[in-house]
Amino acid sequence: MQAYIQVLTNGLMLGALYACIAVGFSLVWGVLNIINMMHGSLIILGGYLTFFGWFHLKINPLIMLLIVPPFLFLFGYVLQYVMINRVIARPVLATLTLTFGLDMILYNFMNVVFEATPRRITMDFGSFSFYDVVLPGDRLLAMVLAFALTGILYWVMRTSRIGRAIVAVRMDKDAAALMGIPINRVYAVTFAISAMMAGVCGVLMAVTFPVTTNISGLLLGKAFAVCVIGGLGSVPGALVGGLALGLIESLSGNWWGPQNAVLTGSVLMIILLMTRPTGLLGKAGYE
Amino acid sequence: MRFSKMMSLLSLAGFLTILATKPAMAADDVIRIGAPLALTGALADEGKKQQVAYAMWLKRVNAAGGINVGGKKMKVEIIAVDYQTDEKRAQQIAEKLITQDKVDFLTAPFGSGHTKVVAGVAERYGVPVMASVASSESVFNQGYKFLFGTLSPNGGITENMAKMFVKVMPNVKKIAILGREDVFPKSMANEMKASAERAGLQVVYNETYPVGMLDHATALSKIKASSPDWIYISGYTQDLVLARKQMSDLKITAPIITMITGPSYQEFITALGPVADGVTSASWWHHSALYKSNDVFGSTQEFYKEFVAQNKSDPDYVNASAAAALITLQKAIEKAGTIDKAKVRDALAATDIMTFYGPIKFGPNGMNQGRELPIVQVQKGKVVPLFPDVIKQGSLQAIK
Repeated sequence: MQAYIQVLTNGLMLGALYACIAVGFSLVWGVLNIINMMHGSLIILGGYLTFFGWFHLKINPLIMLLIVPPFLFLFGYVLQYVMINRVIARPVLATLTLTFGLDMILYNFMNVVFEATPRRITMDFGSFSFYDVVLPGDRLLAMVLAFALTGILYWVMRTSRIGRAIVAVRMDKDAAALMGIPINRVYAVTFAISAMMAGVCGVLMAVTFPVTTNISGLLLGKAFAVCVIGGLGSVPGALVGGLALGLIESLSGNWWGPQNAVLTGSVLMIILLMTRPTGLLGKAGYE
Repeated sequence: MRFSKMMSLLSLAGFLTILATKPAMAADDVIRIGAPLALTGALADEGKKQQVAYAMWLKRVNAAGGINVGGKKMKVEIIAVDYQTDEKRAQQIAEKLITQDKVDFLTAPFGSGHTKVVAGVAERYGVPVMASVASSESVFNQGYKFLFGTLSPNGGITENMAKMFVKVMPNVKKIAILGREDVFPKSMANEMKASAERAGLQVVYNETYPVGMLDHATALSKIKASSPDWIYISGYTQDLVLARKQMSDLKITAPIITMITGPSYQEFITALGPVADGVTSASWWHHSALYKSNDVFGSTQEFYKEFVAQNKSDPDYVNASAAAALITLQKAIEKAGTIDKAKVRDALAATDIMTFYGPIKFGPNGMNQGRELPIVQVQKGKVVPLFPDVIKQGSLQAIK
């Protein structure tokens, strides 16, 4: 029993991180119809900024949560406004190729400048035990923050002017334009929010994982899987998809060994694609 | 217009970072060695380790006027090309180096998997290829005649380790093995299972984790339930740093924790800090194993000193093995007195030399014959050799 509670806890904590990885990716895919191949590298960039802030300037990683995401917000805004907006009306392949190319530049830039050596913030956040179930402090913190920040994002999307504008553009961009919504600015803000969430995730990842460029492709893959499972373009979709994937990997790893954990996640993804292409929470038309 | 200009500038910048040295046309009295290296991509770090060591060797050789080929000194040129940690590209680049750049010899990239690819190409063209970082026998059992590797078989490492640990700590009865699904780490996990069983240990957990695994909590929780006395995990640095950290977070421990290759790399110890203490490992080389030699370096100390002065960090087995591979090639060329590929190949097969890295003598499959490989433990943040006795500086300590 305790073993199962531990497995479920592990899965939930991992799932929260997955949700955080995917939420920005899902938003951009759903609203802009852009598959942002850069997303993994943006997370890693956030991770490196956090690491170097801690290593050289002795800034607490949690304070970096106030610095890194706004920086990436700006970075994303400029990138979208200056480059991606120019090809956004083209077929999805054009934007895919552009972000793929940008990813190669960013990825190799980080490889050359930071080197791929895995680095870790050697802070001890301790761990909490209830009976025999252990909750590592850093993961717990990352989970709480991931939930809180996705919650805030959800709230912003539901209540703020810009949030409603984003939702409107996602529903029907022509109608939104006719209603006087500045589409290009909404696109840029959406992309910026996505990059900001990548920054948030980068900070949380830097606290819990070694920072290295090696895993940027892996993160992108997870974001894909979460979107397919949870559904595109909505915050709750990413949350549900992330938690589902985390729990599936954790449980199947426990039952059939870790070598089959990723496989099980992928099989489930294929089944969902065949039976429910909109994902668990997606609405038809956004797939 | 402005946009396309910026794009072309950006892509140019990207290409410049991707491109390594562009091969230059060289005169005929130069020995050309082609080096496909992972300078970008997932193995960028490891690829750079090879590159650094090649450069150290090259500098010394050319400073001495080059390699003595039948009484005539020939300068050496290394044509390093980045294959971006992409298996298919490694193959194309090996082909290009042989057919277009007309290299005389090749070096293999990092890791057993990519070495196999390059060795396959080299074999087809009859070009001797020096593999410095491939230790899985599955690479050397293909019947290749032109492939020579300076690392010894994986089995040699686990066999010594299992025997020694059981002798020093007779209470150790149960071992849990977790290996990465990848040529080298998987082979290290399989070898350990065999060695552990031969040493009378009970294997209570034996699983692998896939390359796309981001997290080890599940596997580790399961290992905890099997309450082993010895936890053995193979993988690459980022896996092992994460695994060791998660073990400490999840309060999972055992008297012996072994990570292959973990502590062989300084970055493993740096990234983990105090948690690295007590982790044991084995390696093909450690700079505390001192050898005297009549190669370009002359002794282990000399290599170590120059490396530290240049890189401000300790060399690891990858650096040493990469330099040793080129030393071995150099010796074979000198012995053959020609750069004829087939004759150098025969001289390589007959190699029996002492280098700063230790003795090198190839078995029939082209692998360096097993020798007593160092077993090490991290003690107070330092790598301490435990075995063999000639280089021993401490005893095995149990993790509390």
